[in-house]
Amino acid sequence: MTTEEIILSNLRGNVRETYDMPTLSFGKLQYPDPVGAFITAASTVAGASVIEAREGDDINELIRKAYPEAKIIASNLPGVKADRNPDEVSSPQELDGTDVSVVAGTVGCAENACVWIPQTMRQRAVCFICEYLVIILHRKDIVSNMHEAYMRIEMPEMGFGTFISGPSKTADIEQALVYGAQSFCGVTIILV
Amino acid sequence: MSTQHAKKANEFVKLTDVVDRHDATFWAVRSKRDRMAHEVPEWEDLRAAADMIKKHTVTHLADYLGRFAENARRNGVQVHWAKDAAEYNAIVLDILRKHDVKKVVKSKSMLTEECGLNDSLMANGIDVVETDLGERILQLLGVPPSHIVMPAIHITREQVLECFRGHGIIEKNGRQAADSMGGDLKTLEAEADPTFLTRCARYHLRDNFMTADCGMTGANFGIADTGEVVVCTNEGNADMSTSIPPLHVVSMGIEKLIPDYKSMAVFQRLLARNGTGQPTTVYTSHFRKPRPGTEMHIILVDNGRSDILGNADHWQTLKCMRCGACMNTCPVYRRSGGYSYSYFIPGPIGINLGMLRDSDSHYGNCSACSLCCSCDNVCPVKVDLSTQIYKWRQQLDSMHHADPMKKTISEGMKVLFDHPGLYTSALRMAPVANVVPSWLAGLAMKPWCEGHDMPVFAKKSFHQLWKNGLKEDSQK
Amino acid sequence: MKVGLFIPCYVDALYPEVGVSAYKLLRSLGIEVDYPEKQTCCGQPMGNAGFQGKSEHLVKSFDELFSGYDYVVAPSASCTAYVRFFHPRIAGHECEAAGKTVDLVEFLHDIVQVKSLPAKFPHKVSLHNSCHGVRELGLSSPTERNIPAFNKIKDLLKLVEGITVVEPERPDECCGFGGMFSVEETGVSAKMGLDKLKRHIATGAEYVTGPDSSCLMHMQGIAAKQQLPVKFIHVAQILSSGL
Repeated sequence: MTTEEIILSNLRGNVRETYDMPTLSFGKLQYPDPVGAFITAASTVAGASVIEAREGDDINELIRKAYPEAKIIASNLPGVKADRNPDEVSSPQELDGTDVSVVAGTVGCAENACVWIPQTMRQRAVCFICEYLVIILHRKDIVSNMHEAYMRIEMPEMGFGTFISGPSKTADIEQALVYGAQSFCGVTIILV
Repeated sequence: MSTQHAKKANEFVKLTDVVDRHDATFWAVRSKRDRMAHEVPEWEDLRAAADMIKKHTVTHLADYLGRFAENARRNGVQVHWAKDAAEYNAIVLDILRKHDVKKVVKSKSMLTEECGLNDSLMANGIDVVETDLGERILQLLGVPPSHIVMPAIHITREQVLECFRGHGIIEKNGRQAADSMGGDLKTLEAEADPTFLTRCARYHLRDNFMTADCGMTGANFGIADTGEVVVCTNEGNADMSTSIPPLHVVSMGIEKLIPDYKSMAVFQRLLARNGTGQPTTVYTSHFRKPRPGTEMHIILVDNGRSDILGNADHWQTLKCMRCGACMNTCPVYRRSGGYSYSYFIPGPIGINLGMLRDSDSHYGNCSACSLCCSCDNVCPVKVDLSTQIYKWRQQLDSMHHADPMKKTISEGMKVLFDHPGLYTSALRMAPVANVVPSWLAGLAMKPWCEGHDMPVFAKKSFHQLWKNGLKEDSQK
Repeated sequence: MKVGLFIPCYVDALYPEVGVSAYKLLRSLGIEVDYPEKQTCCGQPMGNAGFQGKSEHLVKSFDELFSGYDYVVAPSASCTAYVRFFHPRIAGHECEAAGKTVDLVEFLHDIVQVKSLPAKFPHKVSLHNSCHGVRELGLSSPTERNIPAFNKIKDLLKLVEGITVVEPERPDECCGFGGMFSVEETGVSAKMGLDKLKRHIATGAEYVTGPDSSCLMHMQGIAAKQQLPVKFIHVAQILSSGL
């Protein structure tokens, strides 16, 4: 028998009583104003900044205003002025030293400020390797809770996606909360 | 009659400042967790759902594993199976050798700790770099974790600074760290500033991410429906580890499986809230396919889990998702620290998992429980932790690990309590002779009296009072 | 209604006045009370030590002694919980007496549903919510759980004239007694007790009260050793203070 067969047969042999999958039909947290709740969660506990873009605002100007000192911007989003394109670099290492990466989120979740970022670029390192991350998200894509979020997300062809809620952080040294552990030190979410 | 845990804990409690800090730290986490639990109106529904999903999945695990493996293969992922730690370590080594890997960047995984992977790889000349800040600090210090979620919480900032200095990290990365904060290197170093130290580690680890040949992660969840794994971190180290090197190896205990995204939503809402008191981890990353031009491997590890499923008393430990809440709330863990336990996972779940792993080595942890049952109430998947510890105690005698003194006392109690006449005469004697009745003998022993004054026996027991008046009164 | 009074061994030997208070309280409510004299212990000390098997005979006797009553009432949450939940497991079947064994607080609050008491106790007391009372019997809502808050002990104490009831910080953290635990894990047990005591004292209360004499005994032993200025009294004694 292969190891796989040994493990599976041991598992089958050791089941004494089986249990049904629950229906998950309980009531779930709903916000009267999911967008407002999302903004509060993102800008408080998650530690991100939120910019509410208005009709006619130029995305590139908003990014420049948020990070005026940024020298290198990386993105493959159409309309975003970038110095590096994660689809075109020959290795992920080439993205090191990126000041700001700009990516698109497809679902936002009000209860915890998570934003689903599907991998829609060749090198996903662009999402993590930067000093600061800018996420562009549509207001209409904000839902109340994670149950709704998991119903809405789609896995892209690249086979990777991540919920991100604010900047990378750690409290491993004496419980002191520090932003900017191994990944980006700050996040700005632009709501369009 | 001191167990191995008690001996170490008795030493640890003498360091009052250390104990009080440890207790305050984890009580603060417990309090944050309580706030989170009370902010979600359907909290108890979520726990009930998580319990049932896990019960369902582990009792249909062979089917779900089959589906998971098939879907993962279809996604282009190479799936391996390991019966035990040795087979697991050999599989990892084999994959790494095929890719001529010299350096691995690794995100936190309790499974690799359980299997002793790092030692195995180092012995074979492969450099392993832990990338979770806490784990990296411990690795550089050469000490084991004291908690499964906050592994280095017992290390002070000064110790971290010394450690980083010793490894040349301050010298190499200090300038960049200070600049990134717009601060003065000398001042930040002198203050052992946590942000400064974290940034030093950031740039030190950045160098390693750039040059590693392989990224290794654990898996918080495996989703059968899609064949993907989910890894949750706050630091982003799992994402850094897997988006740069050309090889991703996932190590996953077979009990980590859940059916689908609907289930995932339940666990995503519970994990961070319950473990660290945050509404979510910063990253909840779903890995389904290898990056273009790279390889992804998933190793499904049994290492005793399929046997645990057959254990009527302890199979529910398989529901555990390693959130750490049971140790945070445990009043004994908070006052005895992680190192008083012989197993690398401390606290209530660690007592149980250690016994399942090797009872001869870990029975000394079974005393580390006052049976307060708080762990049962925080567990997000309702593992019956305290009941299981109680059950282990019942088994110690047949394992020949029962304390002889406790056995003598218990036998004495049996004789006394089984014979009411003897019991009442012992009671009558107690106050007069100032002799402690044997069923309270434990309280007369020296260790108890180190912390307590002896209780004073009543002049007349209730038995006597009943006979001398109450009985007559009751018949009026 | 006929009640069988169960006075656990350590209450019998160390705190008989708690038993007397329980007796008086029940009588004052017009309840017929009997005390089967052949009773001894609930068996918990052996069980917690890992020798549950040694209490099989005791469990059987308990059932025989108490089956004939409408309720079995004990002024001890922990012993009650052990009888109710562990006796059937030890016996391997349902136990008639165990099924109707209740703590005094439960009995007064849920079954008799007392709405007034003649009791007077013009003191500030800090309530000790003992673990098995909270998490096994449900005398109060455990702080870990998101359920509506309640506290049956507090409800009863509110009926007492002149009393001020407060709760310590960490209102249901364990005091560290745990039976054999306090003998085996002396350092941690004493530390837990001391921490708990300090929180009770910080409330400014003159007394610590609770439904379990075992926890009170543990803390009293530590308070005496450390010469800490606080007194201990069982809930039954406060509730019966006017009798």
